[in-house]
Amino acid sequence: MRRGEVAARLQLNAPLAVAVLTDFVRDAVENAGAAGVVVGLSGGVDSALAAALAARALGPERVHGFLLPYRTSTADSAAHGRLVAEQLGICCKGFDISPMVDAYFAQAGAADRVRLGNKMARERMAILFDQAKALGCLVLGTSNKTEILLGYSTVFGDNASSLNPLGDLYKQQVWQLARHLELPEVVVAKPPSADLWPGQTDEEDLGSDYPTADEVLYLLYDVGLTPAEVVERGYPQAAVDGIVQRERQNRFKRRLMLIARLSGSAINLDQEIPRD
Amino acid sequence: MTTGGALRVGLAQVDSRLGDLDENLARHLARIEEARAAGVELLVFPELSLTGYRLLHLTPRLALAPQRSPHVARLAAAAAGMTVVVGLVEEDENGTLHNSALVLQEGAVVHTHRKVYLPTYGIFQEERFFARGRSLGLVPIAGGKLGVLICEDLWHAELARRMALGGAKLIVVPSVSPGRVGPGPVPENSDTWEVLTRSTALLNTCWVAYCSRVGWEEGSFYPGGSHLVRPGGEVAARAPFLEEHLLVAEVDLREADRLRFRLPLLDDERTDVVGPA
Repeated sequence: MRRGEVAARLQLNAPLAVAVLTDFVRDAVENAGAAGVVVGLSGGVDSALAAALAARALGPERVHGFLLPYRTSTADSAAHGRLVAEQLGICCKGFDISPMVDAYFAQAGAADRVRLGNKMARERMAILFDQAKALGCLVLGTSNKTEILLGYSTVFGDNASSLNPLGDLYKQQVWQLARHLELPEVVVAKPPSADLWPGQTDEEDLGSDYPTADEVLYLLYDVGLTPAEVVERGYPQAAVDGIVQRERQNRFKRRLMLIARLSGSAINLDQEIPRD
Repeated sequence: MTTGGALRVGLAQVDSRLGDLDENLARHLARIEEARAAGVELLVFPELSLTGYRLLHLTPRLALAPQRSPHVARLAAAAAGMTVVVGLVEEDENGTLHNSALVLQEGAVVHTHRKVYLPTYGIFQEERFFARGRSLGLVPIAGGKLGVLICEDLWHAELARRMALGGAKLIVVPSVSPGRVGPGPVPENSDTWEVLTRSTALLNTCWVAYCSRVGWEEGSFYPGGSHLVRPGGEVAARAPFLEEHLLVAEVDLREADRLRFRLPLLDDERTDVVGPA
């Protein structure tokens, strides 16, 4: 499979994918007996798509969007989050997380931007889970497969959720479905950013553009090629090496409960009990 | 039952609630009544329809010994006047667990098929929780015989072949197939299944009734897409994807006889040439 063919293979049948993912949200919410979902609207394409799928699944009145800016967040993030909420017809509340985050670091001492960014991500998820409790809702996850495989997330922050319709979609598949659902082009087309510090972009953090990362991950993870075989197919050695290293270093983020086994009936090792 | 080999078949493309026998029994009873009202003579439910599929370590807690199970007795009684195929975790006479399908007729279990091939790769873990079935059997019905193969059994072509050689004119396939979405307009696994059912019907000149479930378990969806294939490989009827549905269609078992006269693949079978090449 050459480069062009890989990109073609990642194309989904959009109506079918939307039908299935919509059904996923509906089934999970109905099974849990929940009133609906809460979702943090970052102004980016992932949360926009997740919210759009939920609005189709449940009706917009059962989807609660939240804007959770920090004082350094760009004005665009909130504006784009609002734009998405308006288009979907979902309600949209806001909480400024600056006082909570700053209060902690005032006591803990100054921190680098990664610690500050992690704290923001966890503060947002703490608020979303609290709002979910208040509203009888579930927290809708917005992490895509590329981020999850590369570990480009904050543990118990943006990677925490009750259900995640995007977790098996590579980033370009997220873009594809977002365009299919005609989400605002300004949201779909802008450079992806966690917006944890000014000027941050995903692709700079990851050292690779998303189409390359998606295709390399697909060949390594889905198809089962070796890194050398991926390079032979025309992908830059440095990008492949970086992706291999990130994937390996961050596997722990995909398996969050590490329990010391003593009994022979250890949770999730000896006793795999389905959650459904 | 209709004379002349015609049989009204119902494929109950249902969702099952994982680990909830009582709820699933109630759903089966409702579907049996719906099928009866539609004149169905043979009603097929999907694999493990009474328990749900992905039970893992819940498996022993859901096992039923058919001869003393009140759930099975209720179903058998409800199935009076029809032939009904249901899926369950079966505890056999030795206390061993099987992924089985029961054929119920006139208030009794007339046949048990224990899944022969237990997939244990990728998302599947069946060998960890079930013992392999070791035999095949056929069930006489008006106009011919039917055989039951469960899901993965159909991927091993010799089983359907042996049934056809034994006289089966209809092979019933209860299934659970985790869905995948790709570039095509139908789930990729469903495409694959249709290749398999149509090939089986063509190579064995028999009807194939494929009953597959819908719903979600542990983040994995089952797309449905149950269908009925004529001897020769043409799809005769098809249920929609992603929704519960009772597919009802006529099966003329004599169509297999007519095709076998024109295309005598089974008669021509070279049983003297067997084993690895």
